[in-house]
Amino acid sequence: MLKGSKGSHNGPLLSRSYFIKARDFQSAGKASIQIKGLLKELGYPQGIVRRATICAYEAEMNVVMYGSDGDITVTIYPQLICLRIQDQGPGIEDIQLAMQEGYSTAPPEYREMGFGAGMGLPNMKANADMMEIVSSPNQGTLVHLDFSLDATP
Amino acid sequence: MKMGRATQHFVDINLERCNGCVLCMKACPMKAIRIMKDEKAHILGTCIDCGSCISICPKNAIEPKTSLPVEGDKGKYTIVTVSPVMYTQFGDEVMPNEIITALKGFYNEVYDQAYMHELFNLATEIHIRERRKDPNTKWPLISPICPVVNRLIYHRFPTLLPQFLPFLTPREIAARELRKKALERSSLKPEEISVYHITPCSAKMISVKQPLLSDRSFLDGVIGINQIYPKLKRPLGHITGDEIYHYSGGIGIGWARSGGEIEGLEGIRSLAVSGIKETIAYLERLELGLLEGVEYVEFRACHEGCIGGPLAALDRYEAKRITERLVRMFGINKRVKFGYVKKLYDSGFFNAAKDPTTLAKANGIDMKSSLERAKEVYHLWELLPQKDCGACGSPDCMSFAEDIIDGLQTPDRCVFFNTRR
Repeated sequence: MLKGSKGSHNGPLLSRSYFIKARDFQSAGKASIQIKGLLKELGYPQGIVRRATICAYEAEMNVVMYGSDGDITVTIYPQLICLRIQDQGPGIEDIQLAMQEGYSTAPPEYREMGFGAGMGLPNMKANADMMEIVSSPNQGTLVHLDFSLDATP
Repeated sequence: MKMGRATQHFVDINLERCNGCVLCMKACPMKAIRIMKDEKAHILGTCIDCGSCISICPKNAIEPKTSLPVEGDKGKYTIVTVSPVMYTQFGDEVMPNEIITALKGFYNEVYDQAYMHELFNLATEIHIRERRKDPNTKWPLISPICPVVNRLIYHRFPTLLPQFLPFLTPREIAARELRKKALERSSLKPEEISVYHITPCSAKMISVKQPLLSDRSFLDGVIGINQIYPKLKRPLGHITGDEIYHYSGGIGIGWARSGGEIEGLEGIRSLAVSGIKETIAYLERLELGLLEGVEYVEFRACHEGCIGGPLAALDRYEAKRITERLVRMFGINKRVKFGYVKKLYDSGFFNAAKDPTTLAKANGIDMKSSLERAKEVYHLWELLPQKDCGACGSPDCMSFAEDIIDGLQTPDRCVFFNTRR
């Protein structure tokens, strides 16, 4: 199961959810910006804020581009920030393949907008301390990301 | 945002005229204003002197503090450096040279600051070309011109501080040089000279009193265009003499409106953003690292740029039309020589006194208590009507919840709480 979040003896200190609207490129990024604002206000060090918001943004864009309406939840534990992104979209057929750099199912119109380079998931993995994807075709996608306070410079 | 950390600001709320409506509080991008129990607006948070409240107040109760003596300091040798916005305020028929000539009736020296803008533009180009060679450069660089944007970044986006173009502003460089030259030319003592900046900007005062990128300002104060405007109308009709005081071209004058600064940058991938909300939105995106491939961003807190400043005398769109006309008239070819600017650049002529990378302060937030506070705030917020009406005196329900937790507000000020009971 979810390592870290389960392991901590204390319950979550704070949890907030933000709605993500699919195909809404106008407001895409809003949820990530709100999460960034929250973490900054709470006084987290720059490094962990940056890592968490980069991941939040990548995940949010994935929901906007491929998923259906979804949400992103940030949960704060004493030594951990957890992001949980879920949608009811088409799901991912082969997660291992999707994790490869450069692999992308983006249609040409997204590529024209500068998205769909196949770097989203690898970038998330590189920035998170733990990443887990639960998905199967037509069952939607759940991404869980952990950011450990200890790991951050 | 936590209240009660009011910073020095140069916006005054006239409590006699304030009737406690919520418009300024709602307009404040920093959520720094509260309507307290006296039913008057008070600035309690971090003010960045953007002037949003000044423009929106229906009672004209909010005034920027400028240095008032329009006639200059009595007994002092007074020099003014003039924002090109001034050239756009008197209609199509009045040319910059006439405006400078008219100003000469008031002050010992009048400097056409637009010329400094052209030097600054070329120096920016040189700097960016040099920074391209440094793989550690974080792009894009951010224009240091707008004092509101500088303060916004300092307080809300400190991670972006290292991205400031590390230059003094043209007004500061001009003031420094004017002072130096006046001392060389005359037997004046330093304290007998005062240098003022004529500006449409309500935030210049704070940049003079509390500069961000240097320890002290070379300016003694600022004069609002709307202060000097009525006094200039009459002399402008009686200009005689044909001496030339105006040297700048379209590049320098164009700085009056949004996009003017980057217009002068050749071969630089740049972007101009104006308006405080737009600026905040772009800074958020910048912080997420989303402006790839852009090398320079010109941010202006006022819509349409400096012509939209709260102290301008003319409507911003009218002024924009006249700016465009002047830019066409004087042309956008460079009037300054590369070799000359390069020499100045190499000598440190443009350098900011402080390295922007050293500005970031520790956030000083105790995470444990901030988490506790956030949790309480959130639970309280869930109980609130979430209509964000502002009638309680806080800008929205989340701020109200924060203010209650911080002891600034009491729950009974929520009108919905009261009617439900």
